[in-house]
Amino acid sequence: MSPGRYWVPALFVLLAAYPFLPVAEPNRGEQFTVLFVYAVLALGLNVVIGYAGLLHLGIAAFFGIGAYTVGILTVPYFPFGQSFLVAATAATLAAAAAGVATTAPVLRLRGDYLALVTLGFGLITLYAIRNLDAITEGTKGMNPIGAGPVPGVAEDADLSGWRLFPGWGVRWYRYPYLYFLALGVLGLVMLFLRNLERSRLGRAWVALREDELAAACTGLNPARLKLAAIAVGAGLAGLAGALYAIALQGTGNPQGFDFTLSMTMVCCVILGGLGNRPGVLLGTLLLMGFDRVATNVLDNLIQEHVGSGGPSYTKVSGWKLMIFGTVLILMMRYRPEGMLPEARHRRELHEEPTKPV
Amino acid sequence: MDRRKFLTAAAGGAGSLLLGGCGGSKDTVVIASSLPRTGIAQGQTESIVNGLKMALEESGGEVAGMKLRHQDMDDATAAQGGWDAAKEKDNAREAANDPNVMAFIGPYNSGAAENSMPILNEAGLVQISPACTSVQLTKKVPGDQSGKPDIFRKSGKVTFCRVCPNDFVQGPLSAVFAKEVLGAKRVYVLDDKELYGSGIAGLFIKKCGDLGIEVLGHDSIVASQQNFKTVIATIKGKNPDLLYFGGTTVTKGPQIAIDMKGEGLTCPLMVPDGCYEKSFVDAAGLDTVKAVPCYATVGGFDPSQLKGAGAEFVRKYKEKHGADPEAYAVYGYEAAKVVLEAIKKVGRKDREAIREAVLATKDFDKGALGKWSFDPDGDTTLKVLTVSKVEGWPFKPVRTVSE
Amino acid sequence: MPELFAQAEAAGFGQFLVTGLVMGSLYALIALGYTMVYGIIELINFAHGDLFMLGAFLAVTHLAWSGLTDPAFAASAPAYLLAWMVAGGIAAAALFCAALNVAADRVVYRPLRASPKLTAIVSAVGVSFVFVNLGLFWKGPSPVKFPDLIPDTNLLASDGLRLTWKDVMVVGVTAPAMLALTLFVRYTPLGKAMRATAQNPTAARLMGVDVDRVVSATFALGGALAGVAAVVYGLYIKAVDFQMGFQNGLYAFTAAVLGGVGNIPGAVVGGLVIGVVGELSKAYLGAKWSEATVFAILIVILVFRPAGLLGARTREKV
Repeated sequence: MSPGRYWVPALFVLLAAYPFLPVAEPNRGEQFTVLFVYAVLALGLNVVIGYAGLLHLGIAAFFGIGAYTVGILTVPYFPFGQSFLVAATAATLAAAAAGVATTAPVLRLRGDYLALVTLGFGLITLYAIRNLDAITEGTKGMNPIGAGPVPGVAEDADLSGWRLFPGWGVRWYRYPYLYFLALGVLGLVMLFLRNLERSRLGRAWVALREDELAAACTGLNPARLKLAAIAVGAGLAGLAGALYAIALQGTGNPQGFDFTLSMTMVCCVILGGLGNRPGVLLGTLLLMGFDRVATNVLDNLIQEHVGSGGPSYTKVSGWKLMIFGTVLILMMRYRPEGMLPEARHRRELHEEPTKPV
Repeated sequence: MDRRKFLTAAAGGAGSLLLGGCGGSKDTVVIASSLPRTGIAQGQTESIVNGLKMALEESGGEVAGMKLRHQDMDDATAAQGGWDAAKEKDNAREAANDPNVMAFIGPYNSGAAENSMPILNEAGLVQISPACTSVQLTKKVPGDQSGKPDIFRKSGKVTFCRVCPNDFVQGPLSAVFAKEVLGAKRVYVLDDKELYGSGIAGLFIKKCGDLGIEVLGHDSIVASQQNFKTVIATIKGKNPDLLYFGGTTVTKGPQIAIDMKGEGLTCPLMVPDGCYEKSFVDAAGLDTVKAVPCYATVGGFDPSQLKGAGAEFVRKYKEKHGADPEAYAVYGYEAAKVVLEAIKKVGRKDREAIREAVLATKDFDKGALGKWSFDPDGDTTLKVLTVSKVEGWPFKPVRTVSE
Repeated sequence: MPELFAQAEAAGFGQFLVTGLVMGSLYALIALGYTMVYGIIELINFAHGDLFMLGAFLAVTHLAWSGLTDPAFAASAPAYLLAWMVAGGIAAAALFCAALNVAADRVVYRPLRASPKLTAIVSAVGVSFVFVNLGLFWKGPSPVKFPDLIPDTNLLASDGLRLTWKDVMVVGVTAPAMLALTLFVRYTPLGKAMRATAQNPTAARLMGVDVDRVVSATFALGGALAGVAAVVYGLYIKAVDFQMGFQNGLYAFTAAVLGGVGNIPGAVVGGLVIGVVGELSKAYLGAKWSEATVFAILIVILVFRPAGLLGARTREKV
């Protein structure tokens, strides 16, 4: 039935075991950590777009709010000095609150107007981050952000002794902690969303997305449902931002929270399969993996065999946007329901198209 | 079902990522570089890599009997359109984890450096930046609470050094030039709000205060904005003797010059080394720099002023690339030269020994920049600034200022 | 902030208003491409800004080929010759953008007509990525100088307020273009077909309107306007770069929505509002707050007028 039934748990087991396997590349673990963070972000966005059907073009704002909340609560030059758990919780709540507060006044706007407002809100947040130097350090980014311990796990836990066989496994830097933290959070988010989908709220979202008028007639409150979706989605985005700041030990360049990220995330969600958790997970891992991991690997291979340098069109990274764009276009043309479509959505696209009136 | 096909393809893709990578033979030395090779800073990094590769070619593709390979890493991602903190960290780890890598050249952006420095420090891998000028990467700034740069040096050793003078040289000496040569008494300062641009503008303003130059105002632009007519019109109302812009060619340095001409503000414009390149004058246009006197500064010397080995470098570069080298090309070349010299001295693949040899660089004259040393923090002792008049390419050096 | 305010006062409110209106009419011209396409097929064409960028690159190439990038030639050539060359540049860019836009529609958007809106939007984002990458390969990452052909001399006798030939040129090209478009949509058979299709594609088809042809014509018109805007923009701003599609496209899209998507006068009003707000905020709040101010005002307006400034009054789309 559910397409994710077997391969999703298998993927998680594989990823959890990956660092201990002999094939493990030393650097992949850290790269995957960031991919897991983006997967959490995409799953959050999926709640808003996929479950509730609201086109949100400013999800990066909540990602940023999450990251900067953690920054403010943990950097040494602010007096708070909170641990990771407190900071991540605060980040989640702050982002959820921001989501509700910014969406409530504009809920009555219809589709594309709402999309533009969310886009605008994303940009306003970005410029606030850039310009309020006294709080956010402007373009310098806040750092260092100490990861702070999760109770029971030492921050610099060294798992280098954990080898199945001598010679297996990899050289570790900080990442056993962060890798498993991010993977664990991603797993929990997947479980949480699975349960949410099956709950009363999840079914109400389906009804809302399919036909808002009919849903309202059966006694559902569309406004409240939409706000719930924004709260959950923005909260998850905030959590992702918190993880991002911790994994980077800083908030990085504020440009990392701009419109490009929001748009890339929308693409990940749709490419993977709108509304379908395992699909969104796969879409994000592949798309972001291509951007951050695969281009590097390919460029290195080219450099090794052909030589380095040369103009940008001799490198895979120079073609990145072109490839990205072409993949989006081809996918939408030949498989618009995404790689792993949600059952209902798939039927919708492949049955006789009914023209909207 | 289609789904199965997709899963297989996905698994195949993931598998190749998990397994892929590069093996390396024992007698290969890799010099890794991490620069934003795509996105807006591509032009400058292209010239850095050109310089770097010339140094490698000069050593005949080998050093101390070992094969030499250059790994050209990109720290920009499409999702960010420029340098990406996570990507820079990845590159640093990749280099740290590859036992063949003996030196890390880069990054280009000071903000990126803050991300790779702790990792490379922990790995004991020497890092030489050809372009990062932010002061806090090497020296403590009085009154700063963040603990930089010590937080980048957890191991207690210095692993980061740079062949370009830092902003303490460029910002303040620009102010000295403004006062002594241009006779400026009232200046207005703009910056692009980026780490580099706002940092250098801040240091310029500070020195102006010390020199008794009146700073009429300070504002930040956003590089994605189309024009600055309104900003320039406002500044014109204050009637300054000089406009200083802390920023780069791609963060709209040329547009500022264009709009100064358009709005009839003809006081001199001064820009830092982020604009010290051919594309600055290409984008501004000769008509613009004729109407608005533009001065660009660069730490160290203009390529045309170089003598001896430096002049030789310029000649060879011209021969190879058919154009005069950009200011940054020299730093790419110099960084690679320092590394190669250190590896030659050590004679084996020993990161710690190579790190020590690089940082002990004293009276180095094998590169293109003349004679200089590293100070204990990894800063170059070459504390001079060349100011050039922009009248076309190459720029015409007006004066070399020193502290 | 008060300091900036005083500075701005000194330089003059009128000056910022002029710059704002000029920028605004440029945004409006680009916004028309968005709004017309949206009116007919309800597609937010995210690639439109990057189409505009490619148009500007083509114009630079064309003008360089005509020899206008050489300032000496540009200064010595007689005015009528320059005018002809610029007109040639405008025609070339308009044709190029129209063709490219139609091609994008044929290849990418048309097969998706029956799909949900999001599918087409994501495709448009894909096209935008491809365009940006093409622009990067074409002219590289640094800004490219656009020939400075129109004098900056002040037409007004006053010392404070400046109104240059450039300002006049922008309005002189954009206003007739918008007027021509309005007349075209209102009075020509094809324009009528466009309005009909926008109102109800099925009914239009039943009435014998060739909907595919109408959509192609819309893409062609929108693209041509973007091409015209690109040349006018280049002459006014004097430098173009591969990333300029983003900000201009975003503002134009915002203008279209602000005015009421699908509404032609709305796009013009929206463009002017955004231009003026953008420039005034640069002057009074500092350039770094300009974008945030534009979007804050946009949100406030939409809260009170959820269908845009002119959206509620005029039902008719296109």
